Amino acid sequence: MKKDPRQAGEPSNIFRFSGPAGAWRFENPTLIIAWDEDAGKLGPKVVEYINRQLDAKSLCEVELAGFFSLEGVAVENDIAQFPQGKFYYCGRNDLVVFKSNEPRLERHKFLDGLCDFAQRYCKISQLYTLGATVSSVAHTDSRRILAVFNQEQIQQELSPLGVENMNWQGPPAVSSFLLWVAQRKGIPGVSLWTEIPFYLAAGEDFQAIKATLSFLDKRFDLSLDLAELDEQIRCQNAKIDRLRQDDAQIDGYIRTLESKLSLSADEQVELSKKVAEAL
Amino acid sequence: MAIIFYKEPKLKNPVMFCGWPGIGNIGLTAIDTLRVVLKAEEFGQIEPWDFFDPQQVRIANGLLKDLEFPSNKFYFQRLETCPEPCRRDRDSIFFIGQQQPGEGPARYAQGQKAYEMANLVLDVAEKFGCQRVYTSGAAVTAIHHTARPRVWAVPNKQNLIAEIKEYDNTILMSQIEGRSNQGAITGLNGLLLGVAKKRGLEAICLMGEIPYYLQGAPWPYPKGSESVLRVLLKILDVTVDPSASSGQALSRLDKLAEKVEENIEGFLESLYAAEAVPPEVRDEIERLRHVSHEPGPITEEEQKRIMEHIDELFDQRPWKDEKGPSTGGGTQ
Repeated sequence: MKKDPRQAGEPSNIFRFSGPAGAWRFENPTLIIAWDEDAGKLGPKVVEYINRQLDAKSLCEVELAGFFSLEGVAVENDIAQFPQGKFYYCGRNDLVVFKSNEPRLERHKFLDGLCDFAQRYCKISQLYTLGATVSSVAHTDSRRILAVFNQEQIQQELSPLGVENMNWQGPPAVSSFLLWVAQRKGIPGVSLWTEIPFYLAAGEDFQAIKATLSFLDKRFDLSLDLAELDEQIRCQNAKIDRLRQDDAQIDGYIRTLESKLSLSADEQVELSKKVAEAL
Repeated sequence: MAIIFYKEPKLKNPVMFCGWPGIGNIGLTAIDTLRVVLKAEEFGQIEPWDFFDPQQVRIANGLLKDLEFPSNKFYFQRLETCPEPCRRDRDSIFFIGQQQPGEGPARYAQGQKAYEMANLVLDVAEKFGCQRVYTSGAAVTAIHHTARPRVWAVPNKQNLIAEIKEYDNTILMSQIEGRSNQGAITGLNGLLLGVAKKRGLEAICLMGEIPYYLQGAPWPYPKGSESVLRVLLKILDVTVDPSASSGQALSRLDKLAEKVEENIEGFLESLYAAEAVPPEVRDEIERLRHVSHEPGPITEEEQKRIMEHIDELFDQRPWKDEKGPSTGGGTQ
């Protein structure tokens, strides 16, 4: 008999179904994960784009207590924020999406419960995490997608698709922690880290969003219409071009980055500030 | 939450020694040096992932190679295989934790996680027949860094008081002027004492003194550790051969203590020279150089004022992860 994940003692009882259990059908789907706290809003924007185009419905959501400090609400851009984490069913049996704030407490329990739920109730075959890595590339450069795999087999599968292997030793992001948890459960996984220029990190980088969506579109044959993003990229680039025309110093900074040279810390701050104002 | 044992040694009447990071790492350094002196062997660990976040990831050529968590390991040493001559009638178990579990922004252990950790440690103590547990930490007090730190001892049972009074260079809370026989032990040191009491186990916390103006310093205070270690060696009646490798561990601690004291002198002199601390704060610190161990003329208000000036001079390390490993393209 299929167990109800809401049953006490189940690792996956950190999730609460939004609708009736069993209203979806999956066939070894891929789980795509994005965290709301992402530079250039890359991960959440990519997932929102997919959810909108594929008319996704909420499947279940995480119980917040125990994973987030619930001592009040944060206010961002005049709006009260509250943490959430939801699974989405996209109407396709090969894809399931999870978008969430990063857990602040009991991170292992959260990630373990996430993998457990995805494995038991969605029968996922692999998982992808999406995120941005802040870089000193110029906005006029193409966006590389760096990748971290938890198994060699999935690395071999994805390498021909143009992702570049990442090297890093230091404090881990939550996606690497998740990849490690998945590895221990035998779930193949990859973290995709799309480069974004540091001066677009505080806002949105539509080109990085498009690069990530294009990769996923190609990988999963999503038939996404990216025209809206093309227009946003054109508009963003036009605003930065105007700034460059009006401000020779800023133009010089960006030219330096385009020449693959680096800026000083003060110059980086100045460029980020002026671009944020212009956008 | 689980404990993994690599082996289950049969131990005779063992004593457990617990060390984890804290102010000046006094307790951790003392207990870990004792572990090295006795050449204790690792035999188990507490699974760390439900207590701690990972500290380090290693990604090489696109593959996730390793995720490192703070370790929480158990070690043992049997009397008959102990490398140092001693008249002990007890084997030893060590618990060395690299971090105290906590919830939220607290610096030291608190909350449910800490309680669970304390219980797991004592589960191991009881499993192997321990009746006595020693923990160790720091006693923040009004002494100068050139003074010899004493050891404050707090037992969890009345019948241990007489034994403690026999320890060298050691005082009870009631013997400290101005304390009114009261105080508090924060973090796992205190919690373990309480949980042991609840379980009927004897436990003693030994705290090496540290000057209060150094309690926020990012460096260790080995002088306080030395004081605790000497008490522990006496308790175990261990005679260390200075020429042996275990003796070299003690010698290293001595040298480190000397070096740190020199550095503290240099640090304070540079602060004075740069006028980074007000003259009255400097005078209060320097006055301690010439007073005894008693709290003496420094009031709590004066102590607070000194701390406000000294603490802000100690740096905080920035945090980076894969989201921003470098400004050079995200790879290194």
